[in-house]
Amino acid sequence: MDPSRPLTTTTTTTAVVPRPPLIARRRLVRESLGGYAFTAPALVVLVVFILFPAFWIFWLSLQKWDLIAANPDFIGLANYERLFLRDALFRQAVWQTLYFVGVTVPISIALGLLMAVLLNAKLPGRDLLRSAVFAPYVMPVVATAIIWTFMFHPYAGLLNSVLHVFGLPKLAWLDRPETVLPSIMLFSIWQYSGYNTVIFLAGLANLPPELNEAARVDGANAWQRFWSVTWPLLTPTTYFVLLISTIGSFKVVQPILVFTGGVGGATISGGGPDKAAETIGYYLYTQAFGSFRAGYAGAISVVLFLIVMAVTGLQVGVLRRRVFYQ
Amino acid sequence: MRRRVLDLGPRYLIMVPLAAAFAFPFYWMVVISLSTLDKVFIFPPILYPLGHLENFAKVWSVVPWGRYFFNTIFVASATTALVLATSTLAGYAFASMRMAGKSLVFGLVLGIYTVPTEVTLVPNFITLKTLGWIDTYQAQIVPFAASVFGIFLMRQFFLTLPKDLWEAAQLDGCGHLRYLLTVAAPLARPPLITIAVFHFVLSWNAFLWPLVVTTSNSVRPIQVGLTAFQYNESTDPVLLAAGSLVATVPLLIVFLLAQRRLVGGIATTGIRG
Repeated sequence: MDPSRPLTTTTTTTAVVPRPPLIARRRLVRESLGGYAFTAPALVVLVVFILFPAFWIFWLSLQKWDLIAANPDFIGLANYERLFLRDALFRQAVWQTLYFVGVTVPISIALGLLMAVLLNAKLPGRDLLRSAVFAPYVMPVVATAIIWTFMFHPYAGLLNSVLHVFGLPKLAWLDRPETVLPSIMLFSIWQYSGYNTVIFLAGLANLPPELNEAARVDGANAWQRFWSVTWPLLTPTTYFVLLISTIGSFKVVQPILVFTGGVGGATISGGGPDKAAETIGYYLYTQAFGSFRAGYAGAISVVLFLIVMAVTGLQVGVLRRRVFYQ
Repeated sequence: MRRRVLDLGPRYLIMVPLAAAFAFPFYWMVVISLSTLDKVFIFPPILYPLGHLENFAKVWSVVPWGRYFFNTIFVASATTALVLATSTLAGYAFASMRMAGKSLVFGLVLGIYTVPTEVTLVPNFITLKTLGWIDTYQAQIVPFAASVFGIFLMRQFFLTLPKDLWEAAQLDGCGHLRYLLTVAAPLARPPLITIAVFHFVLSWNAFLWPLVVTTSNSVRPIQVGLTAFQYNESTDPVLLAAGSLVATVPLLIVFLLAQRRLVGGIATTGIRG
């Protein structure tokens, strides 16, 4: 008898007594119906608004549709052909997205880890410090981006005032093609580093303290303890943060929209000077709701989906071998 | 004691300026919202708030904040309530009911978690257009009425409930639904609060989707109202800052009250907006 189960259960559960299979089967059917009735509301929403669209998007990408005509036209792979061979702006958006991901992901992870390590102690005021760095992630992106627009002001924005104090030349920030995307990167790093800190703090809290203590007794300094104990033990968390940061950054839309959107938000005039802040996600958005090309936007969605999958697969393949699981 | 000072000192030395830098834009929002147009973009900048409280009265008269606020609160509350209901029911069924093909369906639900939202943007717009739901509340509520995160969290909680509880209830002639409503769900307050805070914040901050599916002020949430205000060429930056503050403060309060829950929920699920 299983000692972990209380004795009384054997008297109440009737499963011990052999029963005719037909009745048991009928009971399972009845309970299953109940179970499906319980799950139905959630399942209907998830299937209609997430699962079904995930398949539909592939079909949609083979069509041409302005969202107004009654029926879409089937045009085969023409959307993909145009996307890959004749759309210079899309190619530009792909490179700029890679640039955005390549800069923001490593910096926000490094900064997030640094702050987590610093906060991982019995520090008076720790919660306050953590809140300060985490708040940018929780606050509405429209409001925070508006404030950053003021700080990026080309004449007397706060950031230019700071540069001036240090004797550095002013920057045009959002107003020049060379600086518009780096400015948005700065905003994005500000937005997500604290989020990474919170995940790293959770990871650090799960590490066994004995190892660090043993290394301390053996005379290892803080730097050595970090590189030979904490960092290898933390790799599963780092791996997790890297994965979700990369996926999240590839899809960046909202800050681009608020910083460069132009009147009405969904217009093709956005994307910054010379379209230097156009990303795949933003291009998808303007194609769908600025130019009303549902099929073309569908093809962009599929490509974005595949890029994210490929990068995830690559990271899983490369990093799995280096991740140290406890 | 000395080791403690040596250990904590450098931590503060780096962490306090960093935290101040991260919090600074919020302070700056307050400063600008209490300033006047001719004092915002000057050098050297005025780094302290000036106290022009009338800006808030002015911004309130220019933009229908009351309407936006009501819309946001209504949409966020309705979405949260529905998520709690659907997650509790489904989480309970996945944890405690005998169902044919249960593990298959649960696996499917977890699989749905990996679909990026960008993929669903255009198809969902078409679905809502077909339903005639463009520019309605339900367009902002129904697509978000179920949550994989919520179902998962509730299932994990219900799995931890002792089986005797259910068996005792059964002896009293209690069915699954009554047991769930009177016994199990009231015990599930911790995960329910986590889910509620999480989805309330998510819904409050929703921007891209409502921008796409709303066309009039009558159902628009505050985030979209704020962008419309921002794109208006003649908008006074001071009023824009005041508006941003108005849209941020309620969330800041929720954040400070429910910080632990929010941080816990995010640390376990890794949801990124």
